[in-house]
Amino acid sequence: MAADLASTLADLKEAEVLKIVKDRLGAGEEPLKILDDARRGMEVVGKRFADSEYFIPDLVYSGEILKVVTDLVKPKLTKEVGTKKLGKVVFGTVAGDIHDIGKDIVVFMLDVNGFEVYDLGVDVPAQKFVDKIKESGAPIVGLSGFLTLAFDSMKETVEAMKAAGLRDKVKVMIGGGQITDEVRKYTGADAFGKDAMAGVALAKKWIGAG
Amino acid sequence: MPVIRDILLSLKSREVLRRQGFRGGSRVRPEIKSLITEILATVKKTHLLEPAVAYEIYLIAGMSPDRISLEGGKAIEGPLLAAIFPEAKELAVIIATIGPGLEKQVTDYTSRGQHLRGTLLDGIGSAAVDSLIPQALKSIADGVSSRGYEISSPVVPGMPGFPLTEQWNLLELAKAKEIGVSLTASGVMVPQKSTSMVIGIGPKMTRWTQAEVCRRCSLKETCPYRVTE
Ligand code: B12
Repeated sequence: MAADLASTLADLKEAEVLKIVKDRLGAGEEPLKILDDARRGMEVVGKRFADSEYFIPDLVYSGEILKVVTDLVKPKLTKEVGTKKLGKVVFGTVAGDIHDIGKDIVVFMLDVNGFEVYDLGVDVPAQKFVDKIKESGAPIVGLSGFLTLAFDSMKETVEAMKAAGLRDKVKVMIGGGQITDEVRKYTGADAFGKDAMAGVALAKKWIGAG
Repeated sequence: MPVIRDILLSLKSREVLRRQGFRGGSRVRPEIKSLITEILATVKKTHLLEPAVAYEIYLIAGMSPDRISLEGGKAIEGPLLAAIFPEAKELAVIIATIGPGLEKQVTDYTSRGQHLRGTLLDGIGSAAVDSLIPQALKSIADGVSSRGYEISSPVVPGMPGFPLTEQWNLLELAKAKEIGVSLTASGVMVPQKSTSMVIGIGPKMTRWTQAEVCRRCSLKETCPYRVTE
């Protein structure tokens, strides 16, 4: 019996995963079914991460494997299905904070999990978030920041969304090393996530795919 | 104004792994271990680390609960300092950095879609800053020992009782410009892989471990990178 894609991906066996995917594609299998199995594997990765069995590098590694799988499968999908994303997310590190790596990891995990992410970078002024939300129509916004001063920037960014009449059109999540529920309340965000997988879970929940 | 550049950083794999959130006993996949080894070799080969330390030693003119006054009319604010080393006669203000090269390479990796490499290299950069500190401290300790003095463990702005607003003051006091470290408008040091600290100097100084520092931190329950004993 051929090895199971979901569990092989969950075990992060990159070479084996790619072989299975190529074999299954070669055998003319339905590409969506392959992606579905890969997604189940990622759910196990998320669970192992939550249980401290996996760590950030393992998580990012799983994302890279999933990315290769998706790239292999994509050409076989119909154009419509191939380009369809789960939903749009505007993401950035708030004004005054220039911390990059945590944000990059969340953006990457959202991306490989099927979201279209507009990454605005670091030190992003509130207005830039507002402009991008308007332009893209994204229903989800992620704010990253790990300095105490970022809490004020997050609050100002949420307030700018309110002032622009966008607040009830978007769900806002925040995250970064020091974020707690108290900080969430202070900033007026809808939720906080302690790591990249929490961010993915929130985004999925909000678009009704979770 | 002393600047130390001649520093050989030897990164221990345990420290590198701690900066990735791995704790003692946790399983590190062979793929990740070998990638770390490979990146460390590249870091060495391409001279990505340019460690530099700028420091200045000041005589203490007076202490009050909220501030330490220094010679020349200067001062450092924050209740933590006087509380933590009341016995100090002098004070060294230190800024240390591994330079801008490593973080540029991290951005390069992530923008090319090499996220695992970027993540690992970023952690290596943090571990490099960690390993730079004891070396800088040793060099200062050696210098003051001829006067019969010892150094305390470092106190870092951002710890409760030592506000981050003192960063501007500390960078001036240590003449951080000499090693290319500056602050953004909001007070973040650039290069990002930099640290600032103050140590007390005197005949008999108290020392504490990283685990004790972690125990005092507001993130002590949740920080994935905390050190325990
Ligand atoms: C590593 C580290 C350093 C390193 C590297 C810093 C760097 N910028 O590269 C070094 C040693 C150089 C350093 C220096 C300093 N640091 Co420091 N540092 C940290 C530490 C331990 C980890 C940060 C990190 O890189 N994490 C790795 C990434 C991958 O994780 P992350 O950013 O948290 O992102 C994850 C999650 O948070 C989440 N996430 C992130 N964003 C979002 C967004 C959403 C929407 C969601 C859902 C999730 C999410 O997902 C990510 C992946 O899972 C934190 C404490 C902590 N536990 O967070 C302190 C911390 C940020 N540092 C702190 C301080 C004070 C400093 C210094 C000022 C100390 C000093 N005086 O020298 C300097 C300042 C440096 C500068 N450039 O100005 C404080 C900040 C406190 C404050 N008041 O703002 C902290 C919080 C520690 C503390 N409790 O005191 N630091």
